[in-house]
Amino acid sequence: MADSTAGWTNPLRDPHDLRLPRIAGPCSVVIFGVTGDLAQKKLLPAIYDLANRGLLPPSFGLTGFGRREWSNERFAEFVKDAVKKHARTPFRETTWEQLAAGIRFVQGEFDDAEAFSRLSDTVAELDRVRGTRGNHAFYMSVPPSAFPVVAKQLADSGLSKSQEGAWRRVIIEKPFGHDLESAKKLADTVSSVFEPDSIFRIDHYLGKETVQNLLAMRFANMLFEPIWNANYVDHVQITMAEDIGIGGRAGYYDGIGAARDVIQNHLLQLLALTAMEEPVSFSAHDLTMEKTKILSAVRLPKDLAAHTARGQYAAGWQGPEKVAGYLDEKGISKDSTTETYAAIRLDIDTRRWAGVPFYLRTGKRLGKRVTEIAVVFKKAPHLPFESTATKELGKNAIVIRVQPDEGITLRFGSKVPGTAMEVRDVNMDFSYGRSFTEASPEAYERLILDVFLGEPPLFPTTEEVNLSWKILDPIEEFWATQGQPQPYRSGTWGPAQADEMMRNDGHVWRLP
Amino acid sequence: MIVNLPDTTTHLISERLDGLHEQRGEVAQGRVLTLLITCSPTELEESLKVASAASREHPCRIIAIVKHDVDASESRLDAEVRIGTDAGAGEVIVLKPTGELTGHLDTLVIPLMVPDTPAVAWWPTTPPADPAKDPIGAMASSRLTDAGRTPDPRRTFSSLRKFATPDDKDLSWTRLTVWRAMMASLLDQPPHLPITHAKVCGEPGNLSVSLLAAWLRVQLGVPVSIEWDAAATAVRGVTLTRSDGGTLGLVRPHDDEAFVSVPGEQEQRVSIPLRTLEECISEELKSLNPDEVYVKVINSDFTFDETFVEDSMAASSQENALL
Repeated sequence: MADSTAGWTNPLRDPHDLRLPRIAGPCSVVIFGVTGDLAQKKLLPAIYDLANRGLLPPSFGLTGFGRREWSNERFAEFVKDAVKKHARTPFRETTWEQLAAGIRFVQGEFDDAEAFSRLSDTVAELDRVRGTRGNHAFYMSVPPSAFPVVAKQLADSGLSKSQEGAWRRVIIEKPFGHDLESAKKLADTVSSVFEPDSIFRIDHYLGKETVQNLLAMRFANMLFEPIWNANYVDHVQITMAEDIGIGGRAGYYDGIGAARDVIQNHLLQLLALTAMEEPVSFSAHDLTMEKTKILSAVRLPKDLAAHTARGQYAAGWQGPEKVAGYLDEKGISKDSTTETYAAIRLDIDTRRWAGVPFYLRTGKRLGKRVTEIAVVFKKAPHLPFESTATKELGKNAIVIRVQPDEGITLRFGSKVPGTAMEVRDVNMDFSYGRSFTEASPEAYERLILDVFLGEPPLFPTTEEVNLSWKILDPIEEFWATQGQPQPYRSGTWGPAQADEMMRNDGHVWRLP
Repeated sequence: MIVNLPDTTTHLISERLDGLHEQRGEVAQGRVLTLLITCSPTELEESLKVASAASREHPCRIIAIVKHDVDASESRLDAEVRIGTDAGAGEVIVLKPTGELTGHLDTLVIPLMVPDTPAVAWWPTTPPADPAKDPIGAMASSRLTDAGRTPDPRRTFSSLRKFATPDDKDLSWTRLTVWRAMMASLLDQPPHLPITHAKVCGEPGNLSVSLLAAWLRVQLGVPVSIEWDAAATAVRGVTLTRSDGGTLGLVRPHDDEAFVSVPGEQEQRVSIPLRTLEECISEELKSLNPDEVYVKVINSDFTFDETFVEDSMAASSQENALL
């Protein structure tokens, strides 16, 4: 069979046929931690939306694994509720019936070998009844501490091994460890059970249209790439701000902090995509190669005290709402040194970026929820105006707005109407939603479909994860010696330390 | 909001549109294309409804040209501008020229198009004989016809077929995308045995049924037979016979409920609703690329009433599988 597959091309898939969507082949997904928030709000709705868009195969199975004493029917009810509440596309009874026919539930604990043998039976039953042909994905929507035991059970029960012509894949969510050592250990655990190319790490930011559009913008246009270098770029600011606090995540968040939670994965991935060279193609291999190259060229500042900042939110008013400080949150000890705000400066040792600092910042309880990449340009070397005319002129900038209001902003100087020559900054907006679809697919839809199709370009590799930890570890070690992070009032743009860090370099943070 | 502009000029129309945008605090940027609809007064409202719905996915300026009194002695332009809830996510301009003006539609539309973006022309029912040569069609980078909705679909399609370029698409082809995708993904699965015969079953006289059969024949290079079923709506089913005699089937007995059958496996249910006009227009606006596959299919050798039964096949052992 393998021989006939090798040189075979599907006669119905003409390379010129641009209409045919990619539909996943027969397969099933097993979700661990299926009653969790992520599964309810994102995964289950995304699976339904895929089905509704006709991108899932008729032979599809969805198995939940959990502690609750649920029947298949009871679990199907649970999925239906989640879908009705959170799905993007309208609820259609026929789509639901198609999906529901493949829904199963397996009750058990992660350390219960019996339960995994039941899971094995269930998966085999899906192969038989639903025709999923031995293709199964395992979605680990569980805390990392549970990975080793689940991985071991999957190996022991034989679930992780695929037969000839079929696949088994595992999907893991961040955090990918909490430092280089633990990340390596985690990778060892998972790769002892699954083949390296069967491991899919989800960074849902990479599934966002705007992030993919960053590649289109840089490499499909003539306009931007010629100035995308140290000759023209002054510095780059990458921001991910949240207006919420830690909510009910105290157990996860405390001891982890903003840098490990966000900078290590999302922000460093955004940095890599912003700074990397043009890949030879957009295949997983070529894209990863460029990202890896840029991450390995990242240099830390010598003086970490001057070029990093961290903070902790204090009580304050978030809009009309009075909110508690981090140390008063439920489940957080009064002397916690976990940062809820982190800002760092990084340099990239390549010819393209020599001397261009990259500033990364993230935090909770900041002014508003926004994620953006701002490429700030140098001032024009000569301004043929009276100095008073350009007083209000700042630096030009290209801002890629990742969320919300996805799009691109171009900031440049323009003449103020009137007789005197006066130049002031103006913004020009491209809004993704206004120009294209209002109903763009959720990041999870794209990523889950990519797992089923076995297309890994949007998933970070082990090496990328390790390189990210190599960047962050020395900073974390330094911070560990610094005691309490500086407090900042909730609803503002972070601690004074962060502003000072920019002032040292002669820059200011943008107000996104 | 609908603004009536009786006996007007294109200059006044675009001034009014800009004024409305300013008054409502909107920016009129972000329109990615102009959709030009040529229709009769009776088709206007339904066509606008479909186009406005599609504009939610592809914000566009919709310009509808309603030819009515062609023989009037007076040349006159009446127009409407619709915006906001009456125009989906886009904006609508309805042009109602009379008399001699109806012979110069291109210059009427030129000043109103979104600058430097593609235009798509759509004839909801009766198309011109040669869409690419039509004054409106010539301005468009993609031309959509819908022969299936004309009084004599086969005749309309046969005439369109003569002039077709890769930028001309008939919606009877667009309606097939889901079926084609399902068939392609059925063949993706191993074992990858050659297909020796295909059969399409569907509504008598339905263009999509013939096109699906023609596509299978072009791509697979095997005989394809058609079974006309008076009880069917559009395509009812497709059966592919493999070299080992096994059959892959996708059959939609009623409504949107279809069944997939693969040798050695249980039958699976899948939902394939009839495609709405809105979905078809949306798909066309999504990709303005020339459709080379479609051109290959309509230039292949087929007529609408043939049923392609190959006698040598009928005599072979696969006969049972075909019936």
